[in-house]
Amino acid sequence: MSGNRLSDFNRREFIAMTAAAPGAFILGFWAPPQANAQTASPRPVWYEDSSTPEINAWIVISPDDTVTIRIGQTELGQGVWTSNAMMVAEELQCDWSKVRPQYASANRDAREKAPEWTLNVMGKGATDPNGGGEPGFGNRDRTGVSGIPDTLYRRMRTNAASSVKDGRYYLQLAGAEARERLLLAAAELWNVPLPELTAKDSIITHAKSSRTTTYGQIADRARRIPHPNPEKIVIKSPDQWTLMGTERKNLDVPDKVAGKVVYGIDVRVPGMKWAAVKSCPVYGGTVKKHDFDSVRQMPGVQSAVQFPIPDPALTRGRVFSGGVAVVADHWYQAKAALDRMPIEWEIPAANAAFNTSSMRAALLAALDRPGRVRVTQGNVDDAFGRAAKVVEATYSTPYLPRARMEPGNATVLVTNDRVDVWIGDQSPQETRFSASKITGIPEQNVYVNLCHLGGGFGRNGNGPQAEQAIMIANAHRGTPIHLLWTREEDFVGTTYRAMGMARLKAGLDAEGWPIALDVRTAMQEDGFGPESSFDVASRYYVPNYRFSNHTTKFHVPVGTRRGIGQAAHEFYRESFVNELAHAAGKDAYRYRRELISRTNLPYKDDMIRALDIAAEMSGWGNALPRGTARAIALEERGGETNRMATISAMVHTVSVSREGKVKLVRVDVAHDTGFSLVNPLSVKKQIEGQITWFYNDAMHQANTIKDGQIVENNFRAFPLSRIDEDPPEINIHFFKTGHWLLGMGHDRATSVQSAIGDAIFQVTGKRLRDLPYGGHDLSWG
Amino acid sequence: MAFDLNVNGTRHTLDADEQTPLLWVIRDHLGLTGTKFSCGIGQCGACTVHVDGQAVRSCSVPVSIAAGKRVTTIEGVSSDGNHPLQVAWKEFDTPQCGYCQSGMIMSALALLQRRPNPSDSDIDSGVTNACRCGTYHRIRQAIHMAADLMKDGRR
Repeated sequence: MSGNRLSDFNRREFIAMTAAAPGAFILGFWAPPQANAQTASPRPVWYEDSSTPEINAWIVISPDDTVTIRIGQTELGQGVWTSNAMMVAEELQCDWSKVRPQYASANRDAREKAPEWTLNVMGKGATDPNGGGEPGFGNRDRTGVSGIPDTLYRRMRTNAASSVKDGRYYLQLAGAEARERLLLAAAELWNVPLPELTAKDSIITHAKSSRTTTYGQIADRARRIPHPNPEKIVIKSPDQWTLMGTERKNLDVPDKVAGKVVYGIDVRVPGMKWAAVKSCPVYGGTVKKHDFDSVRQMPGVQSAVQFPIPDPALTRGRVFSGGVAVVADHWYQAKAALDRMPIEWEIPAANAAFNTSSMRAALLAALDRPGRVRVTQGNVDDAFGRAAKVVEATYSTPYLPRARMEPGNATVLVTNDRVDVWIGDQSPQETRFSASKITGIPEQNVYVNLCHLGGGFGRNGNGPQAEQAIMIANAHRGTPIHLLWTREEDFVGTTYRAMGMARLKAGLDAEGWPIALDVRTAMQEDGFGPESSFDVASRYYVPNYRFSNHTTKFHVPVGTRRGIGQAAHEFYRESFVNELAHAAGKDAYRYRRELISRTNLPYKDDMIRALDIAAEMSGWGNALPRGTARAIALEERGGETNRMATISAMVHTVSVSREGKVKLVRVDVAHDTGFSLVNPLSVKKQIEGQITWFYNDAMHQANTIKDGQIVENNFRAFPLSRIDEDPPEINIHFFKTGHWLLGMGHDRATSVQSAIGDAIFQVTGKRLRDLPYGGHDLSWG
Repeated sequence: MAFDLNVNGTRHTLDADEQTPLLWVIRDHLGLTGTKFSCGIGQCGACTVHVDGQAVRSCSVPVSIAAGKRVTTIEGVSSDGNHPLQVAWKEFDTPQCGYCQSGMIMSALALLQRRPNPSDSDIDSGVTNACRCGTYHRIRQAIHMAADLMKDGRR
């Protein structure tokens, strides 16, 4: 089909139709000539190859002994491509050098149920080293966006630091099931008893007869032998691991340093056109009209597609914006035309009235209203009456986006009976659902072809890039459409961690120990993680404790940004403990240590150990040059219960020059491994990365709202730290504990925030309580 | 308009508007996708390539500036992925998501060509690309290692 598509077809009818049916974008009567031409999609991704025996849904072994391991999560820098493979390979006992990961098929996941033997978690939960821990599978809700407990690959989401904690037991099982069947095949071939066989490094040996075979040689036989009683398979406990628990370099790094990895943005499909998109910059807004005629003659330009607000049922209830796409041969052509195309917006006045200052005032007002009381212990109000000293502080954290380096993009081909989506996606099952809902094509015919992600930082799949691309491609059936956001558009299309405030008030006794603590936190009502870090019990002992959440309604779409509410809440909590220690005239490390030791928190010994190790590593108490200070903080996730948990403590050494320049000079980390880490190298990298992440949150980054719009929408106004701000020294010490880890991909190093604030106070006497700290005059002396 | 471009030692004749950003000619017309788009305003450096040995943020310069010059992208750094910088990058398992790393390596390469034995402050001022995953700690170590490897004459 030549020239312009939808625009030629009848732009006015198109606009009328979307206006009449917001959220129900269907163009059933429009079909381009080649709509039926392409059903079999090309597969440009680099990991594809499948002509060899599949032992089970996770494992394919080819005659040359190459072991292909299917990965159900998405590699976004956290190392899942390697750690998931390690969990399978540990049990498979294959040669690690012959392992090659491949993304699991999200389409097959829609067609097949999980094997029965993967459905039950073995063992006694969080504190049983022989078991599967406590994976968290919800039930699939009616909108398809959470849960998904029993499809083939179980959870294909990549979120909440869960890939290891949720996937470990069934990935180990998958490896063990395959190993047992390979052994059964060899036993059958040689007609020898199974127990006489051993398997190691992809070689099966029968010592008695000095016979060996390889996995590659026996795989075709093994695939036809079912396991007689798979429910009896036992997985290895950490003391039996030989691969898991060792440092393994990430398997995709050689391709990453050669520029060979295919991210979503790199997908090329024959016949593909590019789409540049502009959404209404005020959330909830839509396009009133656009003038495609004024740009249609520009080079390469094909069409314009106006689209409504993506159905909130597909985006976890979040209301993004409607917008318009220009489709062209090349992306920069589409963008150039879009930049010049006049667009008039239909903007809801209530949303355009939001400004950061009024939103901050609304949160402050919310703190004064009765909130949802989540914890009450003792009698807080009475205890304040007895206090020798009352300390009160109000903190704030801004809206923060993911701002991953790869801007949002998706390539979609819709034909009359099939949808293909090529995307780096943290929630392919949800994208599959969206594609089905938007096109009317059943999920069984939707192929979400996963690519590596150029950064994730929180389930980007719930931004609407896939939904927008599917809507545009659905209006161009038969033509693959590659949608790519500009950086500015990415700031509109992402979800934000909710702006938040907290007021903490403590009554101290004559010795400086808290006898009353009232914690109030406020964020918009749909913000994530309002209970984090304060729920169930205070982490620092106080006999009278109240914790309440206070909410208000804002229009910004909020989501699961790295660390969710916890990152802000640990900033509030640890900053306030520093203030209490100062008010009590006590050492901030020993004050914490004493208060934790007085609790009956199940993991208090691990918390104390973390503090002790970090303090010792840092030379806590040793003199520092003038202008340099240390600050310590506890980090915990799940520390309030006896279930899975991750516990760490960090000491940050920070200098502030007389001119007020802040430098994080050293970080000492004591980190819980649980029973064992899977890939300690990846964990170290994650810790280093999260130090940078929360350093940026502490020092530089904030999004403000003006007239309902995100103000900072590129890396000039929203700065990313560079190598000159990286701490020259990072020391990481792991310590073993008696529980399974609750993950560590998103809420480590939150302590950078409180620690830099406390160091600034120690050096300058200025107590800053609003993030970020950058931009303040911190000069001294 | 049609013009010639020498990329990684190969001459290409292209038909593109001369104001097209160099990045998009590299990615879209030549299909070399190792060079990345991220900010579009020359801030982050994910799009860094070399033009006559100088590091250039290719998203923000027109392709016309490269006409008649030698352009090098990540794909041209080595034929086997084993340039000393790549070897060192692998040794430290440096990348996380990897998206910024092509540009990062191109910046480091330009630095090492200028200063074969860079100090930490040379690295601070010479490699100003952004990494969202926070791989700076390993990048610094990898650059020092690469400098040593290159001094040893391995490349």
